[in-house]
Amino acid sequence: MIIEGGIVYDPINGVLGEEMDLSIEDGRVVEKAGGSEVIDARGMLVMPGGVDAHAHIAGGKVNTGRIMRPEDGRRGTEPRTKLLRPSTGYTVPNCYAIGYRYARLGYTTAFEAATPILEARHTHEELEEIPIIDKGALTLFGNNWEVLECVRDGDLGKLAAFVAWGLLASRGYGVKVVNPGGGEAWGFGGNVKGIDDPVPSFDVTPREIIRYLMRANEALRLPHSVHLHTNNLGKPGNYETTLETLRAVEDIAASRNRQVLHVTHMQFSAYGGTGWRDFESKAPEIAGYFNRHDQFTMDMGQLIFGSATTMTADAPLEYGNARLLKAKWSNHDIELEESSGVVPIVYGRKNPINAIQWAIGLELALLTEDSWQMIMTTDHPNGGPFVNYPEVVALLMSRRKREEELATLHDLASKRTSLPSIEREMDWNEVAIVTRAGPARILGLPEKGHLGVGADGDVSIYEINPEKVDPSRDHEVVKAALARAKYTIKAGEVVVRDGEVVAVPQGSTYWVDASVPEADAARVRADLVEKFAKYYSIQMSNYMVQDAYVTRPRVVRAGVI
Amino acid sequence: MRNIVIRPRRHFRVPVEAERITPDLFAPLSIEEIRSLEVWEGNRRVALSELFDISGDEGPGRAEETQISLSGDFSRVKRVGEKMTCGRISVAGDVGMHAGNGMAAGEILVDGNAGDWLGREMRGGSIKVLGDAGDYVGAGYRGESCGMRGGEILIDGNAGDYLGEHLCGGAITVLGDVGDFPGIANRGGAIVIGGDAHLPGAEMASGTITVGGRARVLPSYQYVETVEIEGLRFKKFLGDLVEEGKGELYAASVEEGRG
Ligand SMILES: [Zn+2]
Repeated sequence: MIIEGGIVYDPINGVLGEEMDLSIEDGRVVEKAGGSEVIDARGMLVMPGGVDAHAHIAGGKVNTGRIMRPEDGRRGTEPRTKLLRPSTGYTVPNCYAIGYRYARLGYTTAFEAATPILEARHTHEELEEIPIIDKGALTLFGNNWEVLECVRDGDLGKLAAFVAWGLLASRGYGVKVVNPGGGEAWGFGGNVKGIDDPVPSFDVTPREIIRYLMRANEALRLPHSVHLHTNNLGKPGNYETTLETLRAVEDIAASRNRQVLHVTHMQFSAYGGTGWRDFESKAPEIAGYFNRHDQFTMDMGQLIFGSATTMTADAPLEYGNARLLKAKWSNHDIELEESSGVVPIVYGRKNPINAIQWAIGLELALLTEDSWQMIMTTDHPNGGPFVNYPEVVALLMSRRKREEELATLHDLASKRTSLPSIEREMDWNEVAIVTRAGPARILGLPEKGHLGVGADGDVSIYEINPEKVDPSRDHEVVKAALARAKYTIKAGEVVVRDGEVVAVPQGSTYWVDASVPEADAARVRADLVEKFAKYYSIQMSNYMVQDAYVTRPRVVRAGVI
Repeated sequence: MRNIVIRPRRHFRVPVEAERITPDLFAPLSIEEIRSLEVWEGNRRVALSELFDISGDEGPGRAEETQISLSGDFSRVKRVGEKMTCGRISVAGDVGMHAGNGMAAGEILVDGNAGDWLGREMRGGSIKVLGDAGDYVGAGYRGESCGMRGGEILIDGNAGDYLGEHLCGGAITVLGDVGDFPGIANRGGAIVIGGDAHLPGAEMASGTITVGGRARVLPSYQYVETVEIEGLRFKKFLGDLVEEGKGELYAASVEEGRG
């Protein structure tokens, strides 16, 4: 396949809006392709396929959201066609809709952000049913008993061996840490209030859990860094906890050419105020810190007005949400590993808190000077569904659009944030970084997020001419073009044409196989035998994700030997 | 007023999804165009004329001045008048489930009985049923936090269970008896029941329910006082206390016993 004459943005290879041809053969970008298939992309924007590094798209809590929200299923129904299976849902779409909708946006890769090992089979069953895109899942470690015990005993070797085993058992890709210690405390109706608040029964602190998991992550040379959902997330004044957490790990070095820690959906962790009455943005403080510390990255967690479904392993947070909103609430205890919760929410423009939250996400993205430290996300479906990504990009590219939106919001969005004074407007190169090149680099996927020779043949082509359209003024044109890719090409196959899905191949699933010294692995196995005998509700043999659950694996090797 | 008459051509063994039978959709169309509108009969998509005889005044016309007269057994015809914003539908006979679903304005009159989910999530307008109605009158569909938000439903006969579930506004009046849990999880609106009711207002946050007959009242309701309304004496309760609710429940007669 040859893609002719497009205006290409490929930041990793330093291509900034050059008119050039691309060749794809056998699913990969090549110097020169044979064959006769030619895509005419003249006058169109061409970028690598989009990469979503943080979304909740598969597994137990996603499905709990679907079960709790039949009213959401009714929204966004699209009937079956000869090619496509039926779609349902807006905030919690069915598996098919997730694949189709990502493809229509020009996205070709998406990672599920939080899977307990115990429920990883469910996650993979759903990932297998998501068509078109490549996938992966991050595995939860921050409240696991084996982790807490290794941290208590100061046994880094055993911890690394357990992390490697957990990734294998869950066929997971990376280390996700959610409200470390808080999920365990929630088992007793409590929470941790800061990074030095001890976890009941284990005599360890969140600070120690985060540090040890990061050191284990780096000892294993995993492709992705630790992916952290901070303590006190969602609470007024939590920016101090966030900064304290980052300062606590400044001395840890990355083992690979990437960040040493990714702090996720930062919008929810950048709050000032002593309560909801004096709630305000501390995005400038957070972004300022990131501007001085290039070893850290974050994603936005941008809020979208309207319906959303919050779902997280941060169960005490969801309890608070349910009480505050008087909303439906699901609470889940995941045995020795985590807790979790699901609560629907509607974000309102005239709600002062929501309006400020909306502004904080944009402040973070625009005040962080180096786009490589930032990923555009909505923490789907916590801040809002991923189908709204074109709206977020339009906001990042147009100060005029931001002003238009601010005029419709509660006035505290202008008074308690710095957004009105921010002039920055992202250009197409920066958009390509925060939606593709950056997330691929941050996840550690060398074949994604760029169009150099050897890269996966994942390309998105949009019917918008970056040389003619002024995104600042014509933000509606930008949003409309990004919402319906002219072409999405996945591994060299056209999967979307004119905004419609035209082919439904099955993508692959990434997971990480990390090797560890046999002595450490043996000590972990001995612990696990005891834990399964004493505590787990199932046998270890029914626990591991087997190969049958991952039919198209893409295994990344890592480890200490 | 332009009158369009619809009669079933045969007995329906599976439900017909007839959300296209509304004044809004019919108004701009000729009779021939109405005949060719498609609806689902079970899993089959068919022309309206395959299922119904359609006659009446030739169009087009204004929706406000459109009356649709359904004549015959429509008890398996669902979603009649869905999302209508004006005009009138009259049914000489029974009508199926979800009649007046989400309607915003206009009028539906049913001579016979109505199925379940009558006027679910309706926003405005009026529905009058001379016979009985099924379960979930004026309710929200599965998972919704608001059922009916406005408008008026009047039922001369009896109604089934979960009348006005998640009611957020509007008024429902039933002259006869109702089943279990009328006004469950209500957040506004007014329900008047002429006959008896079982466990009204469970989880009610706000709104009023008046029971002219006997009511079995939940133990989570607090008795306040006896009041007189239009010459009749009612016991007034507040609840549902398990939801810290501020709903008002009036009952002419209270059934003794637990639960
Ligand atoms: Zn998340």
